[in-house]
Parts: sequence; C-alpha cells; structure tokens
Amino acid sequence: MRSFFVYGILLTTLLTACEERVNIQLRYEGDKIVINSLLQPDSVAYVRITRSVPANVYDEGGFTEIGNAAVTLLQNGVAMSPLQQQQIKGRTYFVSREKVTNGNTYTINVSAAGLTPVSAQDTLPVAPIIADAAGQKGSTRVVFTLKDRPGAADYYRIRLFAYGPDNQPDTARGFRLDPAFNNNLIDVIANTHNDALIMDDTRFDGKTVNFVLETQALINSSRMMLEVSTMTDGGFKYFRTLGMQYLGAGGLLAEPAPVYTNVHNGYGIVAGINSRRLVFDTE
Amino acid sequence: MSLAGKLLTGIICFLLCFPLKVSGWDWQTRVTVVVKDQPLKAVCEILEKEYGIHFSYSRELVDLSRKVTVTAYQQRLRSLLEQLFAPEDIRFTRVGDQLVLQQIKRSTHTISGYVQDAVSGEKLPGATIYAPTLKQGTTTNQYGFFSLTTVKDSNSLIISYVGYEPALLPLDGQTNRILLVPLRPLASLQEVVVSGTDKTRLQDQTQMSKVHLPLAAVKSMPRLLGEADVMRTLQSMPGVGGGMDGVGGLHVRGGSPDQNLILMDGTPVFNFSHFFGVYSLLNAEMVKSADLYKGAFPARFGGRLSSVVDISLKDGDMRNYHGDVAVGMISAKINVEGPIVKDKTSFIVSARRSYPDLLYNAAANMEDDAGNKGTVYAYFYDVNVKVNHIFSPKDRIFLSLYKGEDNLSIKGMVDSTADQAGRITENSRFQLGWGNTIGAIRWNHIYNTRLFSNVSANYSQYAFKTEYGFQYNMPSTGQASDLYGKYFSRMKNVGVKIDFDYRPTPNHAIRFGAAGIAHYFKPGLMDLADKGPNPVIPLDTMKKGLDIRGTEMLLYGEDDWRLTENLYANIGVHLSGFLVEGRFYHSLQPRLGLRYMLPHNWAVKASYTHMNQYIHLLSNNGTSLPTDIWVPSTQRVAPMLSRQVAAGIAKTSTNGVFEFSLEGYYKAMYNMIEYVNNNSILTSNLERWDENVALGKGWSYGGEAMIRKQKGSTTGWIGYTLAWSTRQFPDINQGRIFPYKYDHRHDVEIVLTQQIGKHWEASASWHFTTGSPLTLPVSSYHGAGTASPWDPGSGVDVSVDRYGGRYNYRAENVHRLDVGISHTKQKKHWSRTWNLSVFNVYNQKNPFIYYMKRDEEEKQRYLSKVTVMPILPSITYSIKF
Repeated sequence: MRSFFVYGILLTTLLTACEERVNIQLRYEGDKIVINSLLQPDSVAYVRITRSVPANVYDEGGFTEIGNAAVTLLQNGVAMSPLQQQQIKGRTYFVSREKVTNGNTYTINVSAAGLTPVSAQDTLPVAPIIADAAGQKGSTRVVFTLKDRPGAADYYRIRLFAYGPDNQPDTARGFRLDPAFNNNLIDVIANTHNDALIMDDTRFDGKTVNFVLETQALINSSRMMLEVSTMTDGGFKYFRTLGMQYLGAGGLLAEPAPVYTNVHNGYGIVAGINSRRLVFDTE
Repeated sequence: MSLAGKLLTGIICFLLCFPLKVSGWDWQTRVTVVVKDQPLKAVCEILEKEYGIHFSYSRELVDLSRKVTVTAYQQRLRSLLEQLFAPEDIRFTRVGDQLVLQQIKRSTHTISGYVQDAVSGEKLPGATIYAPTLKQGTTTNQYGFFSLTTVKDSNSLIISYVGYEPALLPLDGQTNRILLVPLRPLASLQEVVVSGTDKTRLQDQTQMSKVHLPLAAVKSMPRLLGEADVMRTLQSMPGVGGGMDGVGGLHVRGGSPDQNLILMDGTPVFNFSHFFGVYSLLNAEMVKSADLYKGAFPARFGGRLSSVVDISLKDGDMRNYHGDVAVGMISAKINVEGPIVKDKTSFIVSARRSYPDLLYNAAANMEDDAGNKGTVYAYFYDVNVKVNHIFSPKDRIFLSLYKGEDNLSIKGMVDSTADQAGRITENSRFQLGWGNTIGAIRWNHIYNTRLFSNVSANYSQYAFKTEYGFQYNMPSTGQASDLYGKYFSRMKNVGVKIDFDYRPTPNHAIRFGAAGIAHYFKPGLMDLADKGPNPVIPLDTMKKGLDIRGTEMLLYGEDDWRLTENLYANIGVHLSGFLVEGRFYHSLQPRLGLRYMLPHNWAVKASYTHMNQYIHLLSNNGTSLPTDIWVPSTQRVAPMLSRQVAAGIAKTSTNGVFEFSLEGYYKAMYNMIEYVNNNSILTSNLERWDENVALGKGWSYGGEAMIRKQKGSTTGWIGYTLAWSTRQFPDINQGRIFPYKYDHRHDVEIVLTQQIGKHWEASASWHFTTGSPLTLPVSSYHGAGTASPWDPGSGVDVSVDRYGGRYNYRAENVHRLDVGISHTKQKKHWSRTWNLSVFNVYNQKNPFIYYMKRDEEEKQRYLSKVTVMPILPSITYSIKF
C-alpha cells in the first residue's frame, strides 16, 4: 500500500501543473479610438466611443470614454443630424436623431484630440423570420421555427432570456443546440453552454427548421424570451472571432484569435444587426 | 683528319654515347622521392625531371590522379614503382628509354553475404566490411546484407560493428559465394553511442544529414518515468526539436511533425506516440536501430518533406530462448525471443501496458466496496510479434505485426441525484481510444552475389474512436433521453514495394525499386441519435466525414558513384504520382549528394533534395493529437513540396574515437496548410476542409555542429544548432512572414555516458534551447454587445484583446538536466538491472504554455506561465534471461 501512495504522489506531481506570474513589460500600441455600434434597423443609432488601454489593465472602467469626441453618422455618404451625447445607465452614448433603415450604408467617423481619427462602415441586414417559440417549465428544452432565405448567406445570433420578478427579460440563460438536434457528439461530451449562439446558414440554407435548444439549467421562469438576430458579414465575423478568442484563452493548442474589426485606424465594430424576439410562457 | 673521318668519328662517338644515355637508369637505380598528398602523376614528373625516366601512357586508360604520400630515400626504382602502381593495377614496362604504363584488366570478384550477431543470429544493418590491403569497403544494408565487388585480389576482410568485436575474415576461395559473418557482442555496453553515418568513418560516406541510433544508445539515455524512448533520444540530436515541454513530436530542421516519414520495418506509421505524445508507440526493447535522415534524402525515400525515421526492429534470436521483463513507473513490459526451428525460424514477441489505472481501480474498490461500481480505465498498450524464417541461404521471409492503442473508458457511473439540469442519470458510458495496427511481410532474396532484393507488402492503419452513451430522465417533466453517439476516424495504407540493391562494380552501388500504395481516408464519421421516447429530428443529416481512396505510385533509382579518386556522388531520382478523385498529381524529384575528400581525411559534402507530400495533416498549429486527421490533396490544396540544399564537412578521427560534423542547410517548403480560424477539427465540415485552411510557404535555414566520442568508457556527444524557421500565409498575420511555432534560435545538447566498472553505467543529458515564439496582446479595448443600451443583456462589459501580429514575443529559454544510473548484476542464468533516473534534476520550471490571466482575486491581469514537468525521479527494475 505504501508503494501505491508513493506512486500516487509522484504521478500527482506530474499531473499537477504549476503556474506562476511572469513579470513582463507588455508592449502597447498606444491609445486608439474604439467605436462600438450595432445598428438596428428602424431604431436610432447608439454609438459608444472609448479609448484602448494596455493589455494588462484589469479594471473594465479602464475603457475610458472619450466624451469630447466628434462623432459623425453618414447615410450613403451624407451626414445625418449631429449625434446627441446621452448618459444611459451610467454610460455615455452618442445617439442619432434619425432612425437607421434597411437599404442604406452607414458610416461613422470619429475624431478626438490627440488621437488618430477613425472610420467604420456597414449596411443593415433583413430581419429573421421566426415563430412558434415554446418551452416547458421544469424542462431544459426550448423550440422555435426559423425560416431561412434561400440562396443568401445569412448569419444569426440566438439568445435566450428568462423573465425575472420585474417581469423583464433580464436574465440571460446558458444554452446550446440540443446535441441530438445538432447531430454532434462532441457537444454531448464537451457539455458546454453559452449565452449566445453565433451561426451561419450553411447547414440549412433556404429551409424552415424547427430548432431545439437545450438550456443549461432547468427552466424555472414562467416566461421566457427568445431573441434571434441576423447580422451582416462584418457583424458575424466580429462575434465569431470574439467567441474564438474567449474559447481559446489559456488553451493548449490554439493561437490567440485576433478579433475582427472594421474600424479603420482604430478598434471596435460598426455592424448592422436585426433582432426579432418571441416571448412565450412556460407554464 | 678529313671531313669524312671527322663525321665518322662523330657518328661512332654518338652511337657509343647513346646507349650510355639510355641506360642512365635501370631497375636498380636508387631514387629519392618525397611527396605528400600529391597525385601519382606528380611523382612521375619528379622521376622524369630528376632521373630522366620518361613515362608513356594513355591518359584515358591509365588513371594517375590518386593522391599518394611517398617518403622514399635511395629506394630501388623497381621497388618504388611496384609500390606506386600495384594498388592501381598499373603494369610498367621498359621500352627503350620509355617506361610504358598499362592498366591491367583483371576479372572482378564479388564477396557478399550477411553480417549477424554471433549469439542470436540477429542481422546487423550498417556493419562495415573493409579490405585493408585494397582500401576498399562497404556497409551492410538495412537487412544486414553486403556485396563488395573488387577488381583486385584481397586476402582478408575486416568486419566491424559498434558494440561488437571486429572480425578478420580470410577470403581464400570465398569469393563469389554468399557468406555468413558472425560478430561477437562486446561484454560491456561500451561504444554504444550514436554513430553519425552508419558505422564507417564519416568521411567515407557520401550520405550526410543522417543520424544512426542503435538500441544501446536509446537504453543508455536517462529515462522519463522509467521509459527508454526512441523519439526522445532522437530529439537530443542537432537539428531536431521537440514540441511543448514534456510532449514528444519531432520538428526536424524547422519542419512540422506531419512532415516526418516514420517507417517501422519499412511500413509507414501515422501517429507515433502514446499518452498524448509523451511516449513513442514502440517498446524500445524491440528496436534494433533507427536512422534519422534530416536532409540529403536518398531516392528510395519519399512522401514527406522534412525527415525520414527508418526504424529496424529485432528479428528474433535464431539459437537461444531469452527475453526480459521490466517494470517502470508507468508501464510493465515483457519481451521474449527465440528459435522456432533452430537457425531456421525465429520469433520475437513484445508486449507493454501502462498500469496506473489498475492501481486506481484496485484502490477504489478497496475503499468503496458497496458504493459506486463505476470503473475507469486509462491505459496504453502495444504488442509486437515478428517471425523470421530462412528458406535457403538466398531466401528469407519476415512477418511482423503491431497493435498499439491508448484507451480511456468510463463505465456505469450511475448517479441517482439530479444534476443542474434536473437530469437523473440512469446509465452512462464513455470510451475514447486510438491506435495503430501495422502488418508487414517481407521477402529478402539474393539473386547473385551482386544483386539483392526485398519485396514487401505492408498494411498500416490509424484509427480514432469515441463512443458516448447517456440515458437519463427528468422526473419533473417526464422528459427522457437515450443518447448514443460515436465518432470514428480511420486512415490506412496498403502498399507493395520492391527494392533492389545492385553492386556491379567497385565504383557503383545502385539501388532501384518501385512501389504502389493504396490510401484509404475515412475520417470524421459521426453518428448521434436520441433513442428515447421523444427523439429529436436532427438539423441535418449531412455526412460530416470523408470517404476517399487514393493511389500512390513511385519509382526510384540511385547510384553511389565514385567519380574520381577524391570525388564521390550519390545521384538519384524519385518519380511519384498520386491519383485521387480523378485528379493526378505527379512529381520528379532529383536527389544529389556529393563528397570531396580533402587532405587530412576531411570530407566536404553537399546535397540537394526535392521532396513531395501528397497528404496533409489537419491539426492545430502542428501539434500532434490523437484526433489528427490525414487528408489527400484537393483541387485547392496542392501537394506540399520542399527543396533543401545542405553542405558541410565531416571527419572521424584516425583511431575512430571522435567524430566531428558541421553542416549548413536551407530548406524551402510550399503548399503548407494551417487552419485559419482555429475551428475545431472534429466539429467542422470535413468535406469542405480545404476552405478552412490557408495555403502558405515556409523557409528553414541554419547550421548544426556535433562532436562525439564513441569509444572508451566515457562516450557521448555535444550538439549545437543555430536555426531559423519561418512561415508565410496570405490570410494569417496580414500576409507577413512570421516564425514557426517551434522556431528555436539556439539549441545545445550534451549527452554523456560513463561506464563505471563492470556493473555500473551512469548517464546525463543537458538540454538548452532558446525560447519559442509567443503571441501576446498589444492592447485591450471595450467590445460591443447589443444594439441599444435598453436591450436585454446590455451593460455586460466585454473585453477584447488586440493582437498586433503573430509571435511578437519570445518565451523564456528552456533548459533541463536529466541523469540516470544503472546497476546490472549477472546471475547464473539471468541478469537484473536497476535503473534510477531523475528527469529535470534541478527542477527548472520550463514553460508549457503562457496565457493572459484575469485574476479576479488580485484584481489584476497578467501573463501567466504554466509548467508541467517538475523534477521526476523514477525507478525501473528489469530482468534479462
């Protein structure tokens, strides 16, 4: 028995990884303007302007807002009304007066003192066609129907929210495609759930598909909301690469994934997104 | 005196004087000639100038280019001429005042046969056969066969092989016969160190960029957890790098592991590792020797870009039964060999299994007899069987089988409590396994003393399989599920090959052959179904796997050619074609090796090789995993190809104690692939794999130096590598050139083995390499989440790291000292050996991976280093009988 424990200790030594902090001066590209704006058709545009920080900065408050930035929104190259600076939920947004609409190209130009001016541009996608969302309290299954456009490259983001005591869809639910629906064994083995699912329509182009989602925890809310958004190519690239960066963080094999940006001379994303939401009772 | 009288007197005097002048020299004339490393022609010119001896010969028929060193003081002319011309078979005759030289035409003699271990009958590849009087020699091929054709008579041959007593073989009446030359092994394990190019002197081999590794070299290295390992030993050679710390994988001259052709008795192996690359798939006791070619690839090899590892397995003792049993920290193994019919048929069987899971289950059962009956098995095993039969002195046949697997199996983990999702598990089972199955049959035939052939048929399969079954119910809703799925990948080769070894004249050693290989690719087959009461209709029934067949054909020919006295060449060509899905790829691959002898027995060597690779490995960043998938070239992804030039100098000291080699190389690689979006290979659509990869180029260049002591009680080597390896992909790093993931600028290897008395042997190896490239972010910024701050889910901060370019940093240097000591005691009928090894003696915390850590407790974000291989002592006990 003693030898067994000696063996066990040695094997544990092997398998127990040791981790330590590396004191290194990380290079910094310098302060850049960051634009974040997802443009929803038939809605005003909300543009958030921040400043980049060195990679070793922990505090998310370090993403300092650039309050005095000059932000311009152009529709098909023509400047729209000046954006209004607003404080919403403790954050500064530049909000357009007019709504953005499908069929147009929007450009956001930003300049600020001491920083290189930046610019980004995108269009708006058509809305997804979804219906028949349903789920049962005490189960882990949510279903809905999605009708995909034939012949067009469509990109989707799916999110699931539970209604809280305030009768607001305020709690994001972890979920995944049901493994049997996704026809993917690795899903079953990996058993990972996410707050959002980013996908293209390669597997169901032009079809009407009855989606089956599996929630991470039992559905315990009486009401839920399903959100399905279509995205432009730029938006899809951004969310997909962002997901890969998070997935690969600390990974053994994958190189760190650069996140897509369409902001010229700066960082961030300006992308069209078109969300539709279905609210359903689970009782 | 009249004019007529004067003329007559003059003529008489002339006639009287002429013979006197002609006879200014005769055979007994004593001459003095002192030259060093001068051609024979120069000696003739001295004789002509100093002694008036005129030589007459045809330059086309008589070769006077051989360099000689002559120290003759007052030596008789005939004696000196015999000494000069006899080795060249040049006859000299006096005609008037001329010395006429003629080339003697003699019938050639061929001496051929096998060199084998005198005790076991094991054939010895790479043994040296040398005729000292003629200064000619050759080496045995990988089957232990040699053929030495000479135009001169020779009284005897010296046969030698590292670790064996040299033998003197008289040749009276032995020519034109097939000989069997037994060599007796040395009593101790001295002279076991790696030899640079076979067992002859480096300067006698045109082949460069090659390392020969006998079993003894593998066994004498310090061990990791008690396991001697072929691949780990090869990693300690200049020009060869490992992957991540503690994990195997050969990165040869800046190439990735998928560019290595690993042959086990001539059969290609897809995945050469157990335990995620920590160990080789082969029990080291089965290995007779291994040859690693880093460049200057002979024409008989092809199909991979960067290296060839040609492993010869033992054949089995023809005379006596014996074997060994060993228990290490990770595995136990047994090897048995012996005759089935003495001197006719032999066998060798080797088996190995890791056993930590058995200990775990035993302990778990002891502590929880009434509880969970679940079992966990996590192990690897391999079994080797080889049978060798001699039909006649000219025919022998080998049959070899290998089966090795890694398995993880978790069964019956029943859990009556509901999980987070409210599921009560009724049954679950999970199995994960991968491994190789290899079989080969080979027939060696000697047509005559000059022509040898090997015909082989081989089969190699690599399979990865995972199964998952999960039955659960949810009492709250009545929902139930019975999920069963499996994922399966299989790649296999079936090949037929014929190789000829032909030694027509002393100046030519010719090899030629042909092969046909059928490739079967069936990777990524996935099947998942819910057999429960409420089955789910799958999103698609799209087949995710591939089912492709390809056929590869090749022809090759090479000639080891002595062009002049000092200039040698290995000229070859490898012609191959690959037919897959209606497409036909082909390539003509020239191979050239040159050697020129410099004074003081230094050889300068150069080579050019062109290699093609028709199959690609889908892996993440060149790191080999069990899930690796091989796929053939497609319309978009053409076959990989490389061109390599190398040049260097080499010498073995006169007493054979020291070897020195210095080489430089430049290699360009094309059509390499890399996944562009870090997709999971398992879940991506394999039918369109070529849309998810980037096509690029790579360059590797550098130099390697090695000095080695290979005789005496202290043996070992010091190797140094200076290397650069870069890649360029249009879709990666904005098209800019970036270093290869395992690009190490400097690499130093020091390996020492010390024999201490009869029973003790100590060894140490120190490894140093400069840091690997590392990608770190150059800034961080806020990410987007929702379109409107009023949307659900808004207000969640997303942090995005900005990466300016790939590999903008270097990880810290890696170094490690491993030591081992063995004590062997001979008993009456058996011997036992204890080996104590310590891996990473000074517990250097070498990096395994780095990542940007977000420390929620310290409220800091910093670079974190993970180390996995601390100091690891191990003990192995083995018995040899």
